Amino acid sequence: MLWFEREVVAALVGSDDPRVRSAVEEFVDGSVRDKPEHLRLGLAGESILLGAYAAALRSVGRLDGDGALRALLQSWETGPIGVVRQYVRAMRSLVTFAENELASPPSKAA
Amino acid sequence: MRTLDTEVLVIGSGAGGGITAARLADAGRQVTVVEEGPWVDADALEPFSLEEMATKYRHHGASLALGNPNIAYAEGRCVGGSTEVNSGLYHRLPDSLAADWETRYAIDEFTPAELGRYADRVEHDLGVSTLPGAPPPSSAMLERGATKLGWRNVEFARVFRYDAAGRGTKQTMSRTMLPRALAAGATIVADCRVERLLRDGNRVVGVRARRRHAGGAVERLTIGADQVFVCAGAVETPALLQRSGIRRNTGNGLKMHPTVKIAARFPHPIDHGDVPMHRITEFAPSLTIGGSASRRGHIAMALADTGLPFDDALADWENISVYYAAIRSEGSGRVLAVPGLASPVVTYKLTDGDLSRLARGIVHLGELLLAAGATELHPSILGGPVVRRLDELGAWWDAVTRSRANVMTVHLTSTVRMGEDRRRTGADSFGRVWGYRNLRVNDASLLPDAPGVNPQAAIMAIAARNCDEFLAW
Repeated sequence: MLWFEREVVAALVGSDDPRVRSAVEEFVDGSVRDKPEHLRLGLAGESILLGAYAAALRSVGRLDGDGALRALLQSWETGPIGVVRQYVRAMRSLVTFAENELASPPSKAA
Repeated sequence: MRTLDTEVLVIGSGAGGGITAARLADAGRQVTVVEEGPWVDADALEPFSLEEMATKYRHHGASLALGNPNIAYAEGRCVGGSTEVNSGLYHRLPDSLAADWETRYAIDEFTPAELGRYADRVEHDLGVSTLPGAPPPSSAMLERGATKLGWRNVEFARVFRYDAAGRGTKQTMSRTMLPRALAAGATIVADCRVERLLRDGNRVVGVRARRRHAGGAVERLTIGADQVFVCAGAVETPALLQRSGIRRNTGNGLKMHPTVKIAARFPHPIDHGDVPMHRITEFAPSLTIGGSASRRGHIAMALADTGLPFDDALADWENISVYYAAIRSEGSGRVLAVPGLASPVVTYKLTDGDLSRLARGIVHLGELLLAAGATELHPSILGGPVVRRLDELGAWWDAVTRSRANVMTVHLTSTVRMGEDRRRTGADSFGRVWGYRNLRVNDASLLPDAPGVNPQAAIMAIAARNCDEFLAW
């Protein structure tokens, strides 16, 4: 994964357990690497552009604190730009699936 | 570069390839099956789990057809193909559809009676049955809702065999047809990707392939073959043909069942170990309603589809199950192999009519789930809204738009359609690729359209039929 993709995954994982965080990152990394080349290229391009934007915000002190990136991602996810919205949703889907599968206890129902 | 030779080469080992390998090996042909994915013990991984996604699915189960909206899709990539990862639901091709396709695409010997004969044999060979006891709660919810609304519903049979204690085992290709092919002398080469077909005039003389060994070493192979069956699925089959210079009517006309979902919360626990077997057939074949895999990960993803906070619902995940509405689409798509890229570009164009049908589907699904006792419905629509009462469902009619709908599918077909109408088909009535004497397609690509039901029964029956024609030729 690219540096910004790692930051996005770290921001989206809810668990504080380092083993869970590491396992989620591993799954997302494998999934991203396994994507068709044209989709991987698109994702990488967006990661670079959005990562540069986030870095610019950080350099002027507008992306500080633990939850700042998460809040930015939230705003992108519900924002008006389709490709940006889809970028966050794609990353969130992978993180959400992996984190919840790792946290899944046996079902109580028969 | 190592060279192998075989009489019949089968590329792909799923519903089409597995049937093809077993039937031709049974008939005494020397068969070699090559499969791009790994050979994984069918009992080794929990169904629909993280590990299974990483191991048995192509692209970790996160493939995408580009369009407006993009459509996520999943397909198997392992020995046994998608039969290893699907829910095992089995539904014969409806007679009316077979008759329609026979006429519209001029398909020889494609009568309902003819197909029924092959379906009988497939069902006998594999084991197709309904549950021996009562359905699990997730499936019973569908039945209950349909009964309250007066809608037709049915428990679909599955490719399952049950023991005396009622424990079911899915009869995947790796448990059935592939061992049968091996017993009849076939060879299966896993982790082996066919890069292109080798041609000599109007004959295919073999393939060039790369095999990954444990430890990462890659071996280049040339496999010579007298006859080649391409059974790599509706995406990879046309991509391989295109990479090999065979482009006429290959890859265009992709069809699928676009699907929208609802995560439904009930006031009691719901099972999560199996996929519901009941289907609502009230609106079939244009719209089918059923249940999806609902492990905690799937539920969380479905809840996240609205983009609204869902922590409260997720904390109650044991009371939630995921259901779907799938449509027959009038749109179509394309598979395009791009030089230099290993994976083809897949596109799909949903029509405005498709979006209307999806809206109708998700509203009907909502009606059904509320009638079944659900207390909260989270639709796969960005912005929702989450619905708790019947009179709130109307908000979804206008919410299923290109920018807000989250659409997915697991059924892809029709990229090398069969039939005698050469303008519209890539292969003849029995899967022989036009212009080639010894090259056949025998998988979901041949279906002229998406059938509106799980396509594996149709794929298997048509594959068996085509094998008989080949053996008689």
